[in-house]
Amino acid sequence: MAIFGLWVINKAGGLVYQRTFADGLAQLTSNEYLVLAGTLHGIHAITSRLSPIPGQSSGAQVIEGETFKMNVLLTLTGTKFILLTSPAETSSSIDALLQKIYTAYSEKVMQNPFHTPEMPIRSEAFDVSLGALVNTGH
Amino acid sequence: MTIYSLYIYDRHCACVYYHDWHRTRRPKPAVEGGILPAVSQAVFAPAVESNPSTLSAYGSPRNTLSSASGVVVAINEMNSQSIASPLLQAPPSPIAVSSTGLAFDEEVKLVYGVVISLRNMIKKLSGREEQFVNYRTSAYKLHLFETLSGYKFIVLSDPGSDSLRFLLRQIYVGPFLEYVVRNPLVAMDSKEYGVDNEYFRASVDRMVRGSQFFP
Repeated sequence: MAIFGLWVINKAGGLVYQRTFADGLAQLTSNEYLVLAGTLHGIHAITSRLSPIPGQSSGAQVIEGETFKMNVLLTLTGTKFILLTSPAETSSSIDALLQKIYTAYSEKVMQNPFHTPEMPIRSEAFDVSLGALVNTGH
Repeated sequence: MTIYSLYIYDRHCACVYYHDWHRTRRPKPAVEGGILPAVSQAVFAPAVESNPSTLSAYGSPRNTLSSASGVVVAINEMNSQSIASPLLQAPPSPIAVSSTGLAFDEEVKLVYGVVISLRNMIKKLSGREEQFVNYRTSAYKLHLFETLSGYKFIVLSDPGSDSLRFLLRQIYVGPFLEYVVRNPLVAMDSKEYGVDNEYFRASVDRMVRGSQFFP
């Protein structure tokens, strides 16, 4: 049971926030994270078009490897929250945590008059509340 | 639980086999030359009658071995659609089918692109030789099994299903080895032909329909 990290991707596919909470995954440079976030943004759009059944499909919600998984929350405004966790985490607890992170984002980032939307997030208040959320939940 | 479709790719990024079951939203037929011959009869472009010379150039030596001739497990040619094989149980179901709006050859490339990108992303993030296993959307779940020789087995199922890797592995060690690898008439790794043949298709069909995941 571990939460490895969090990414926030803006609606254009740019990585605006990246934070590592636990070891277990490779340490990458910020440039590599930017590239991966852009790739994920594109893949997310394609996956919604590959549905074999009629009706709208969402983009990828959970992407699983052998030792970790990526959980994607797409908000109505197009911002994506990606939570990297161990595969054992249940989807209900992850969904709840992602919703709380989204709330923290709204309160600490979007309500900050000095924050420019779609730009990288530099907010100590957001860092602190994220740390509290991730540590209390697990 | 439902299984929608199966794709097999070789190490050259080419789709060599396609099979679908409960798929109610189909791609449009591939454009001429968009996919290899002998991938699936269901998704080929309609045969072009006006150009027999180019067809026969590649087609004729294999047509003599076509699956109509009895026990020979040869490659299904794209023009032999009218042959009703006793091995293949049900033809594509008559239920109403809508279109994805994508041509089959484009869909095949998108599936491959997504799988390769995710595979590379998982490797990069984990920092070791770790496999991408599956992803899930609200409508379906895609599972990947990759062999050491670079063949990729991909299946689409309903989103609630468990991991289907073992089923893909069974298809690999069962029908695939028996009717493709051990079949001298299948040109593997040729970049010109898929691996579709009557026995392989029938055997995969039986295996998937017999599995506990098939409704």
